[in-house]
Amino acid sequence: MSVANREISPKLGYGATLLVAALWAVPFLWMLVAAFNPESTGAGMAALIPDYVPSLANFAEAWGLADFPRYGLNTAIISFGILAVQFVTITLAGYAFARIDFPGRSFCFYLFLTQLMLAPVALIVPNLVTIASLGLYDSLLGVMAPYFASAFGTFLMRQAFRAIPRELEEAALIDGASIGQRIRLIYLPLAKPSLIAFAIVSVTSHWNEFLWPLMVINSPDLRPLTVGLATFTRGAEGAQAWGVIAAGTLIVSAPLILAFVLFQRAFVNSFVSSGIK
Amino acid sequence: MTTTRRSLLAGAALAATFAMTPAFGQSPTEIELFFPVPVDGQLARDMATLIKEFNEGHPAIKVTPVYTGSYDETLIKTRAAMKAGKPPAVSIMSANFLRDLQIEGEIQPLDTLIKADGKSNDQFMGQFFPALSGNAVLDRSVYGVPFHNSTPILYINAEHFKEVGLDPENPPKNWAELAAAAAKLTKREGDRVTRWGIAIPSQYDTGGWLLQALTYSNGGRWFNVDYAGEVYYDEPSTLGALTFWSDLVKNKVLQPGVQQNGAVSTAFLSGQASMMLHSTGSLTFVRSNAKFPLKVAFVPKNLQNQVPIGGASLVVPTGVEGERRKAAWTLINWMTSPEKSGWWSRATGYFAPNMQAYELPEMKAFLDKNPDAKVAVDQLAYARPWFATYKTVPVRKAVEDELANVLSGKKSPKEALVAAQKAADEIMKPYVEQTALKLPGSN
Repeated sequence: MSVANREISPKLGYGATLLVAALWAVPFLWMLVAAFNPESTGAGMAALIPDYVPSLANFAEAWGLADFPRYGLNTAIISFGILAVQFVTITLAGYAFARIDFPGRSFCFYLFLTQLMLAPVALIVPNLVTIASLGLYDSLLGVMAPYFASAFGTFLMRQAFRAIPRELEEAALIDGASIGQRIRLIYLPLAKPSLIAFAIVSVTSHWNEFLWPLMVINSPDLRPLTVGLATFTRGAEGAQAWGVIAAGTLIVSAPLILAFVLFQRAFVNSFVSSGIK
Repeated sequence: MTTTRRSLLAGAALAATFAMTPAFGQSPTEIELFFPVPVDGQLARDMATLIKEFNEGHPAIKVTPVYTGSYDETLIKTRAAMKAGKPPAVSIMSANFLRDLQIEGEIQPLDTLIKADGKSNDQFMGQFFPALSGNAVLDRSVYGVPFHNSTPILYINAEHFKEVGLDPENPPKNWAELAAAAAKLTKREGDRVTRWGIAIPSQYDTGGWLLQALTYSNGGRWFNVDYAGEVYYDEPSTLGALTFWSDLVKNKVLQPGVQQNGAVSTAFLSGQASMMLHSTGSLTFVRSNAKFPLKVAFVPKNLQNQVPIGGASLVVPTGVEGERRKAAWTLINWMTSPEKSGWWSRATGYFAPNMQAYELPEMKAFLDKNPDAKVAVDQLAYARPWFATYKTVPVRKAVEDELANVLSGKKSPKEALVAAQKAADEIMKPYVEQTALKLPGSN
């Protein structure tokens, strides 16, 4: 983390950061401007600087086009349900790969990692066949099930656990702590930054996922936000009402953005405090 | 509440009885309809309304409308669902996917259902515009029922036409007039173009379709209607069409690079492009959002007026049997009836495949009020089947990737078409070897 002592003057580095931030922010800014634009198709649509009286008409229309509260609930159940199960599986698997000696441990671990190489699209049909034979077709559990184990998360937790001194665990062992207590009281608190980092990655990716829920879900009541949003952004042959799309996208992404803004401090704090320990 | 084993058994038996006899109306046959959203979100709701009306009128059937993304995603989902043993009873499928689905044995012929209604295949297809048969009747069997169909059409901003001294009542009829009008309509400030003469979408799906349209207008055949293993990408008629398209870019009257459908209609509606070549499927949206007088015209010709059809048909996947199959058939016939066909046409801009729809008073009144919709129907007299081969999507993408290369100035039209032909032939090779090149004694 020592970029500051490089030869580049801090001002230049700061400028470059601002430039990258601006590049990243422009689409969001445009979405914001377009969402409040009373006209959905006019010449002013491409403007980044609003030249109109803000209107909520796009939001009203987007809100009416899809059952957002229900879709939002479904998305939340999917994202956080997956995360909850993942916390258990990646912690246990990470611990096993980091601390328990068993024959073929490295081989198993690398086999596990190869999962990262597989393109998810290639797994759609086999996964769907499995889901259907388990009777989970057209259910939220069916959307969640394939993600209960995570190679990335297991890898992350293994690395985090390995960085924790064995002596801590041994001390707890002498005090008579069971394996469950050791994981819960020693390893997990110290691996908090990794858990949080994984949580952010996991929740955002499942929040944004489109193709897999589209494959599993048939009932309109079980649609997640992305599929609901797509009903009016992915017209196959037609034109697009940008204002409504922008408003809909804002509605869909707002909870995550809001959560990030609210918990930003907590995120950073947790990184810092655990880092000091 | 004591649930004894006996009462459970009795309940199960009762349930079984109801399942066997849906005519009682106690347990309706549940079927799903997979549908892509063709135009905008409003239509997803319109579809829900349509199906609700069907369910209310048919207590013995309960249809769940399932939104399945784009046409390509609908194909993926239908195939995945079939492999998982959960085929939908009915799917709205892009009309040019039917051939590939038929080759793979994934959709079933509807002949026996038609026969049970006391009709011949010809009588059944006779209710639809003749141009639609090529993508619905395969090897003399009916595999799909046309639901909503389109053709490409030229959209014109009449205000811009008048402004530069062109007559909107007399739109470009051939390529020369089109190129001249586009040049006249383009506005520049120095080197920067502030208004394009014409906009043409070139994204996947639309790009190949419009290149086919220009090739048809140039006397070409594009693909072998009777045999699924041949396309004519590297031919003079196609070369002429692609060169014409790329010349529009060279002459700076058409924006270079790949253009998305939505971006093209937005550019047209906002006055940043004066004409656009686009699907009639956008007609209702464009009409209701245009703040200028709108005109539409036939796709201009070089040698002949001819366009491919587009749009989608209703299909029944393989494995849908018994009551579900019957229910699917009831739904299909209801959705393609003149009344519903016409209603959906007015809501979308797609033309109604069922010719009877145009005899209904509400449709006549609509056409009187919206003469542009009539142009789309008139052009049908010049329509031919849409490109459909073995592995339609990759074969289509083979030429679309090369189209993108030409429009961004990376390849000449000739180079591009040679490459597209080679790629397409490679994709169709397994099929060709199993069919046209499978000869007696050649093993």
